[in-house]
Amino acid sequence: MTTAVIDNTNDNPRARSPLVLGDTSLTRVTDLVCSVYERPATRGWYIAFGISASLTLLLFAMIGYLFARGIGVWGLNHPVGWAFDITNFVFWVGIGHAGTLISAILFLFRQKWRTSINRSAEAMTIFAVACAGIFPLIHIGRPWLAYWLFPYPNQMAMWPGFRSPLLWDVFAVSTYATVSLLFWYMGMVPDLATMRDRATTRPRQIAYGLLSLGWRGSNRHWLRFEKAYLLLAALATPLVLSVHSVVSFDFAVSVLPGWHTTIFPPYFVAGAIFSGFAMVLTLLIPVRQIFGLKDLITPKHLDNMTRIILATSLMVGYSYAIEFFIAWYSGNSFELFAFLNRSLGPYWWAYWIMVTCNVIVPQVFWFKFFRSNTTAIFITSLLVNVGMWFERFVIIVTSLHRDYLPSSWGMFKPTAVDLLTMLGSFGLFFTLFLLFIRFLPFVAMAEVKSVMPHVLHEAGPTALGDYWGDAPRDHRAPDKGAH
Amino acid sequence: MADHSAPAAAAVPEVPVFWGYAAEFDSVTGVLHAAKECRDAGFTRWDVLTPFPVHGLNDAMGLRNTRLPWFVFGMGAIGFLTGNLMQWWMNAVDYRLIVSGKPFWSLPANIPVAFELTILFSALSAFFGMWVLNGLPRHYHPTLTSRRLKHATTDRFYVVVEAADPRFDRAKTREFLQSLGASHVEELED
Amino acid sequence: MKHAYDLSRDNVQFGDLGRRWGTIALAVGVLGTAAAAGLGFAAGDGGKRFFWAWLVAFAYFLAMGLGALVWVMIQHMTRSGWSVLLRRIAEGIAGALPMLALLFVPLLFGLGELYHWAHADAVAHDPLLAKKAAYLNVPFFVARWAIYFAVWCGTAWALSRASRAQDASGDPALTLRMQRVSYAMIVPFAVTLTFAAFDLLMSLDPHWFSSIFGVYYFAGAIWLFFAVMPVLVWRLQANGRLTGAITPDLYQEMGKLLFAFGVFWAYIAFSQFMLIWYANLPEETGWYLKRWNGGWPLVGLLLILGHFFAPFLLIMSRAAKRNLRILIPVALWAMLMQWLDFYYIAMPEYEPGSGRVPLSLLDLAAFLGVGGLFFWMVSRNLASAPLVPVDDPRLHESLVFEEGV
Repeated sequence: MTTAVIDNTNDNPRARSPLVLGDTSLTRVTDLVCSVYERPATRGWYIAFGISASLTLLLFAMIGYLFARGIGVWGLNHPVGWAFDITNFVFWVGIGHAGTLISAILFLFRQKWRTSINRSAEAMTIFAVACAGIFPLIHIGRPWLAYWLFPYPNQMAMWPGFRSPLLWDVFAVSTYATVSLLFWYMGMVPDLATMRDRATTRPRQIAYGLLSLGWRGSNRHWLRFEKAYLLLAALATPLVLSVHSVVSFDFAVSVLPGWHTTIFPPYFVAGAIFSGFAMVLTLLIPVRQIFGLKDLITPKHLDNMTRIILATSLMVGYSYAIEFFIAWYSGNSFELFAFLNRSLGPYWWAYWIMVTCNVIVPQVFWFKFFRSNTTAIFITSLLVNVGMWFERFVIIVTSLHRDYLPSSWGMFKPTAVDLLTMLGSFGLFFTLFLLFIRFLPFVAMAEVKSVMPHVLHEAGPTALGDYWGDAPRDHRAPDKGAH
Repeated sequence: MADHSAPAAAAVPEVPVFWGYAAEFDSVTGVLHAAKECRDAGFTRWDVLTPFPVHGLNDAMGLRNTRLPWFVFGMGAIGFLTGNLMQWWMNAVDYRLIVSGKPFWSLPANIPVAFELTILFSALSAFFGMWVLNGLPRHYHPTLTSRRLKHATTDRFYVVVEAADPRFDRAKTREFLQSLGASHVEELED
Repeated sequence: MKHAYDLSRDNVQFGDLGRRWGTIALAVGVLGTAAAAGLGFAAGDGGKRFFWAWLVAFAYFLAMGLGALVWVMIQHMTRSGWSVLLRRIAEGIAGALPMLALLFVPLLFGLGELYHWAHADAVAHDPLLAKKAAYLNVPFFVARWAIYFAVWCGTAWALSRASRAQDASGDPALTLRMQRVSYAMIVPFAVTLTFAAFDLLMSLDPHWFSSIFGVYYFAGAIWLFFAVMPVLVWRLQANGRLTGAITPDLYQEMGKLLFAFGVFWAYIAFSQFMLIWYANLPEETGWYLKRWNGGWPLVGLLLILGHFFAPFLLIMSRAAKRNLRILIPVALWAMLMQWLDFYYIAMPEYEPGSGRVPLSLLDLAAFLGVGGLFFWMVSRNLASAPLVPVDDPRLHESLVFEEGV
């Protein structure tokens, strides 16, 4: 379907690169996107789905085993009371942040290229938050009493303690899940209507018909739709900052060296976006290849995402450095020990995996060669995922395993159940994503259409029509006489 | 004679009623122009169907901005108050418990939850407010019955004028729409 | 197309107006400096109060310059088109950083009055300061500031020079060069800004530390710049400059940035406060404790309401951001609040623990002195080139810029 992909990452300041390549008719966008689910599933999809679904079953088996036997089946023990459970929780919540960044923050910054990737990134957010939500629930020991976390009138005449950051988490993550879901679904409705109108089988007509809520493309509806979209974007932006900040509060309000430092909130947010973008690339690079979406998710899109990875990598590196400096500058020997122990103590390897994957490796994106090499991007994205998982592991485990008194020191070793539960959560994530590819609009068709070169052009100079995808134009000419 | 045995509703044969016209356009420029003309012609019960939000169409149609943001702002303020009052009542009044040496009513510690509730209330009101104001979900609509208008969600643009419009005239309106450069004028039935 | 733009009919030259503004600024600066020096001398405290007033004023205008500089860099790095019309103004402000290097010199004579760590005997009797002496010592402090100013002034100069060269040649390669300069300098910029904030303000209480402090200073700096920008544009337009170029859409855009970064400042300020308040560790809480008695809680409350809530509520709506009768007063108020923020950071360390808010005429004199001299150089910068980058390849995007939804 797609032949040679031209390089639209050019840096010509006189013209903007087109965001859709090849034949840019409106019909083709719909055809391209709908072909993803209209074609019968390939064997590759079934194999991938089979593996992920098996891992999901493994996850549930591990959870069942945990419930039957208790938390002791995990490797955590005094003094390391949090380990894989909270590492996985923070890792998955962080992954979700890129979806919101793409759908909300890039929308507010008018980054038109987001339209090709926002839908899949939002879906990724929902699935990542679903994976994240499992871990705090199962780590509380008596998960059947999890509803006690919510403030509801009860015969014990007790209320939850709102001065605990763990309760803030309950509110932050559940609000985040709700708002992300609303945002995702609302944006999807016009595309679901497209799918309804293309559906050939009765079950699809009914399913997409119901889901699309009778959307008919009325401009009177678009007006309020766009306003609501803007409002949700404006609300999701502080929300996404707050969620990982609240997650960081779980650690930072404590008095534990290595956890309590004031840079944690913005540092966690930057790290979350960093890891999330890596996951977006991990997912999209194969998908654009397999489903022939290279004309929609173009080299330009990959180039932009690698730049964001580089930027957030630098922010994360900045935080590591400042944290270390302040540990020394504080003059507090416990602080300094915590950081020296991190980098040189028994978990030195975890620390250096983190630094290598998060700070050193992404520096390759300073070079165009790596930004335009799909294989290099894919490998880097995998390494960043690894690095960011280790970042949380390092923060949690290395800060806990050396208590104030050497007599209370300990080590953490994961058990098979720890490892398989983590593996299973990846299974759940990929299962949900594979189902999403098969059944829901993978690319926001309506939004892509609104940034097509000729559409921007037709809407007149106010929409920057001259700039998008046109031959470079000399802008000096009209104003030449002015000065 | 035939009336007394069957219920009235079943007896009336379903006669399609003429509902309005849908003029088809292939380009953004075409539909923008047509929308301006329809606005200036003074139609009131009309609409434009597009596969994506077209920049400038709101002005071309002369639509007023929505009041949705004020509703959302109000609900956000209620969410903020709810969050603060809830935490104050639960932790400072009804169930007083010393937690990490903090005062019973600790505003700094209450900010996160108050903030999340502000966002939650606002987002829910933006989402549901938009659907309510748009009158959706509504799964039946005359424009959804035409096979041709299925293109409205893919690649074509339609100016829809309802027969109920006071300025509507079956012959003249069709002529008018064609004069705007419509590639086709579809009759819609209810 | 909603609005007509025409740079040929529009006055994009600062010209005589610039010279007039420059003269006024110079007069204010010289008189302010003289008044500050006189009042400082009259105070009879060995110049202590003068140095503190000068410090706050210096921190304030440094923030303005750095906010402008980083904004220019971000515009280049993101290949921004909408902001081209406003870039020259930011370049003019950032280009006045060398003046601040000059105005920094008086502080060097007051290090002993400002910084506890600058006293050898204090360090000798304080094991904590002895530990930090490798960083907190006078020679290294001076060397660091030399590096900071080299990075800032060099970056501002390189960007401004390329931008002006483009006025003549229209060469798009210059856009790429500015982009490369920005990429190359963003990391040194972040590092220098952070340590400058640590040095200038955090080390006023040398026992205290907060790893977010660099971000906190950055948040205030860029917010201050977003407040100054619409005010300057408004004054220029009132004097017949840029009238056909800068539309309500661009004001709305500036208002959005002011709005958003007010929220960002609140987020950073709250993060720092909440974590320290909650953990309640003596070595950190002490800093807030000094701001917890006497007149300081009122100042803190004023910051919460005036720095965050008031601008947040006043310019939230689209109509307010487009209405200069709302936007400009809010921006002016924001400029005042940012000054108060720096005052709140610095001055409780003047007489630690006394709780007194030592407001004095000296603060006003130093503010006018530093600000007048700073704006003298800003005016000179702006007057020496057109007020917009007239041959920027993306100028057209900025001229036709229109808000979406």
